[in-house]
Amino acid sequence: MNYKLTWVTIMFFIHFVKSSIGKKWIMACSGCFLLLFLCSHAAGNATLFNSVSLFQAYSDQLHGHPLIIAILSKILFSVFVIHIVTGVLLFFQNRSARSSGYKVQKRAVKNSLASRTMIYSGLFIMFFILAHTDAVSFGDHGTIGLTISSLFSSPGTIIFYIVSFLILAIHLSHGFWSMLQTFGINHPKYNPLIRNLTYAIPVFFLLLFSAIPLLFVI
Amino acid sequence: MTTTSISLSLEIWRQKDSRDKGDFETYTLINISTDMSFLEMLDVLNEQLTREGKDPVAFDHDCREGICGMCGVVINGIAHGPEPETTLCQLHMRHFNDGDTLVIEPFRSRAFPIRKDLVIDRSALDRIIQAGGYVSVNTGGTPDANAIPIPAPVAELAMDAASCIGCGACVASCPNGSAMLFTGAKISQLSLLPQGHPERHKRAMAMVTTMDKEGFGNCTNERECEAVCPKGISIRNIARMNREFVRASFLS
Ligand code: FES
Repeated sequence: MNYKLTWVTIMFFIHFVKSSIGKKWIMACSGCFLLLFLCSHAAGNATLFNSVSLFQAYSDQLHGHPLIIAILSKILFSVFVIHIVTGVLLFFQNRSARSSGYKVQKRAVKNSLASRTMIYSGLFIMFFILAHTDAVSFGDHGTIGLTISSLFSSPGTIIFYIVSFLILAIHLSHGFWSMLQTFGINHPKYNPLIRNLTYAIPVFFLLLFSAIPLLFVI
Repeated sequence: MTTTSISLSLEIWRQKDSRDKGDFETYTLINISTDMSFLEMLDVLNEQLTREGKDPVAFDHDCREGICGMCGVVINGIAHGPEPETTLCQLHMRHFNDGDTLVIEPFRSRAFPIRKDLVIDRSALDRIIQAGGYVSVNTGGTPDANAIPIPAPVAELAMDAASCIGCGACVASCPNGSAMLFTGAKISQLSLLPQGHPERHKRAMAMVTTMDKEGFGNCTNERECEAVCPKGISIRNIARMNREFVRASFLS
């Protein structure tokens, strides 16, 4: 009896995940988690505005809890994988649902750049994260302050980082609004606020993250 | 009132049947009165083709007053043409200029097979309705009209959703070929009202499952559907459907 109930629950979940709206929710929930991670990452990095040594101290603190780091990084990695795999799956499924394109390709919506390019901006961010973790996260955390100081001594790296933050901002500008819409949050009372946040949040992250490599130039 | 007339060059999708590959053909029309509707312009073209002994262009239409949802083609990349909140039959030639070239294509989507020229098969939408777009009412004495109080704003929202005529422009314009605006409107219309509450979980599950089975794509919130909808249906209805579906999946 109990087994049967568990089985029913599992089937229900599989049905949900396989449905079109279920996939929307997966994208939105994983996106929400990644956005929260971005906030914590930004907060940690903000210590650099004070000094490299404070940043080093923050890193030492953080890595003083190896168990928490180990668990959180595994969860974070899984969420990234879920977000990326679902996104790529949606891209291919949707491409085949639109049997053949129109001769005249035109969008009725203005400012559709971000929504049109989600898959490309997303993949670019993935490559950025791979490069970034390779350069920073897997190195020696005891000397992370030095690692980033030397990283941002090359102008090529700085440009690469700032371009990536720009693309991240574009990705977020559709992602944030889209996430709320998927959660069912669309109400005339809150829509003006949401519309402003759709600009404010990406710009906030763009400025904050871009300022960091520039700190090392001046 | 002065009537002006314009000349047009039309590039129309011609396809013999579902199996035919199909291609564009170009026609020239002169002296088209700007008071004509778009469909009347196509009627003129078809008269001309018939007189020349050619096969007239097949297109769907019925009421020609914007309420039945039968008409619809894509004009220069936009479903139902350039005027917002206007069905094809209500679109007038005064919105076009002399010498314009109009590319006229059928609504395209995997779930909408083309039958002939501009005529498509939209029965997939009917099957979504059959899956749950109804309320079950037991027969008996006629209930009192206002026996169930419904707040006016809720009634308004339900009416807004109910104004969907099922033309399929949302699917045609969606880069993902998704039918979520249609399904969202139909689910909302019923689940907002008390009469629709008893079946809301069953309805949301059944309609969304059928929508997926029919081969429509996944919504990625592009908002194209809302922009071309001749009835101005808001994507707020999709947000409501997202909530309904999750509630049905986890709470029923
Ligand atoms: S013909 Fe009925 S809506 Fe256009």
